Amino acid sequence: MRPLTPIPSPIPSQPPGEGRPRPPQTANLFFPPSPGGWEGMGEGGQGGEGLILHLARFSRALRDHGVGVSLSDEADGLAALTLIDLGDRDEVRRALRAALKIRPRDVAVFEALFALLWSARELSTANLPVTDPRLAPKARPRPPTPAGPRPNRPPQKPGIEIALPEGEEPGYSPDAVLRRKAFDECSTADLLAMERLLARLALRLATRPSRRRVPVRGRGEADLRRSFRRAVAHGGEFLSLARRARAIEEPRLVVLCDTSGSMDPHTRFLLGFVLALRRVARTSEIFAFNTSLVRLTPFLKHAGRVDLVLARLASQVPDWSGGTKIGECLAAFVAVHLDALVNNKTVVLILSDGLDRGDVAPLEGAMRALHLRARRVLWLNPLAGDRRYEPTARAMAAALPYIDRLLPAHNLESLERLLPLLAA
Amino acid sequence: MRPEIAALQDAMETQGYIADPAITTALFLAKEMRRPLLIEGDAGVGKTEIAKVLARLLDTELIRLQCYEGLDVSTALYEWNYQRQMLRLRLAEHEGKHADEIEDLIFGRAYLLERPLLRAITRREGPPVLLVDEIDRADDGFEAFLLEVLSDFQVTIPELGTIRAEHIPYVVLTSNRTREIGDALRRRCLYLYIEHPSLEKEVRILHARVPQASDRLAAEVGRFVQALRRRRLSKTPGVAETIDWAQALLRLHSEHLDRETVEQTLGCILKDQHDLHEIGGGELEAVLAEAAG
Repeated sequence: MRPLTPIPSPIPSQPPGEGRPRPPQTANLFFPPSPGGWEGMGEGGQGGEGLILHLARFSRALRDHGVGVSLSDEADGLAALTLIDLGDRDEVRRALRAALKIRPRDVAVFEALFALLWSARELSTANLPVTDPRLAPKARPRPPTPAGPRPNRPPQKPGIEIALPEGEEPGYSPDAVLRRKAFDECSTADLLAMERLLARLALRLATRPSRRRVPVRGRGEADLRRSFRRAVAHGGEFLSLARRARAIEEPRLVVLCDTSGSMDPHTRFLLGFVLALRRVARTSEIFAFNTSLVRLTPFLKHAGRVDLVLARLASQVPDWSGGTKIGECLAAFVAVHLDALVNNKTVVLILSDGLDRGDVAPLEGAMRALHLRARRVLWLNPLAGDRRYEPTARAMAAALPYIDRLLPAHNLESLERLLPLLAA
Repeated sequence: MRPEIAALQDAMETQGYIADPAITTALFLAKEMRRPLLIEGDAGVGKTEIAKVLARLLDTELIRLQCYEGLDVSTALYEWNYQRQMLRLRLAEHEGKHADEIEDLIFGRAYLLERPLLRAITRREGPPVLLVDEIDRADDGFEAFLLEVLSDFQVTIPELGTIRAEHIPYVVLTSNRTREIGDALRRRCLYLYIEHPSLEKEVRILHARVPQASDRLAAEVGRFVQALRRRRLSKTPGVAETIDWAQALLRLHSEHLDRETVEQTLGCILKDQHDLHEIGGGELEAVLAEAAG
């Protein structure tokens, strides 16, 4: 939460006719000045010009408080204001809510800023509910809220779910035991069995059928449209039926794996899991980070036994099992790879315990950038498997607002739970 | 308030839609600015009804596109009439026509089946109201496609060429917020969020929609539903449910709410097993007490 920033006045307070020449009153085209209401406020210009300035200033204040208002919204706002009674405060407010597309979650901020602007009260005495600027608007789907948010509720932190393992299920199978065994308690035999299980799990990775239908041979529904085109080409004879079926969308993954010392007991499994995933999601990219960021994808071309691959990877990463600089590494990823590798279909998976003593500012910036761009940001934290765990480590706490899900990653079961979230 | 907005409010009221100023202002602006209106809100708050009322007020056709997952161009926009094409094809064969000729013949306007979107832009008798219902159920790919249609109001059919809108339709989109609507589409529209009505508004709605209900019954029903909405339910009843319920109570000749009638008819407003169990059990007395005022 940050304190209220006063809305800067766009116009220096100068008596009219003195000092600089006034800019031309282009916006008077829109409508004539009227007493009171929107235009009467502040020391802004006259008529439409004042209106544009007020609107620009208001939009900027909204943006400063994390409400997404674009230039096109402002244009809509202006067009709307020309159609209504500017002396009617509530009508102006309602029109702006419609034209600036204020969503329920932003209503509280909007109303407070609007009240401020309308009454042009002393800003310092105002008590404004402030949206966390980190909740900046995004062009991406959020998890639906079941009951629809109430507009009067103050803005709150995004709902971070910490999925915890559920209670024991009845029945016994060796797999089931293995699934719940924490990675750091495993024997070598367990490890091998787990790797096999892991590979099987990854194959089940949910793949969503696309809405798009693509031409296929042999199976699928009849594609009458293409069939007709073919028939016409054969002088009206239906020699064969064209068919189509729904395409399968492959998930696209970017994995950022912490290989610092504190993660050591888990790294092997998490990377093993990621390697297994790669067989299904071929368009995945893997990075390791500790004190620096290393792109591992090129070293995965020659797949083989997981332990051999891991050994090869370990040799590529300087300072494996060393310290961590999460923030710097993620910032490096954002600076170099974000544009090319992450789009709105990408699920970003961060594997880390969030134990980092460095500055949180770069981490926050990087997480915000990831959050804005990716379809989903998941953070796997081996520590979150413990019921008493709370994400209070500084780095973890700073990253939390930008994570869609914080999930435990201490055993196979927790990884299994992850699969549906990775689907495209 | 602009007189036009007040007039719109009155006109909607005569159509049985009790609108608050937020609704009428947004609708007025959408109408004047010729922009699509995106309406969000919980199920049953009267989103779809706005489009219906608008069509009645403008005395024009309401064209409805119900969205669902997997909705595609052939259901939303157009489809070729294959049966007719097939017949024509056979006929043309006998006439010994050339393949190019046949192609021109069967891919003509006469063989095109207009689906809602195409019908909305090709209607000749003036602009219709196009209702794109529950857009959140369609997937984002369809949203992008819709955005294209709504920006240009023209449609390109590969076999036929580009069809431009005769009149720009009035467009209303509704969403239950099961997922967030993409920014691009939202920016194209004006936006309205409808909340559950206040008690006073809900009672007025009941009077307008169920005129046979006595003042007492309407007030009790209103208070009961409002009390329900204050509870944690998995499916909060909307105005649509309130109206259904009041009608059901009238059929049962109930003049006021008592425990027995409410128990019998609770299914009209609570449409979730868990909610029914929760409220129908111990909670009912408490809710009734609140409803009694």
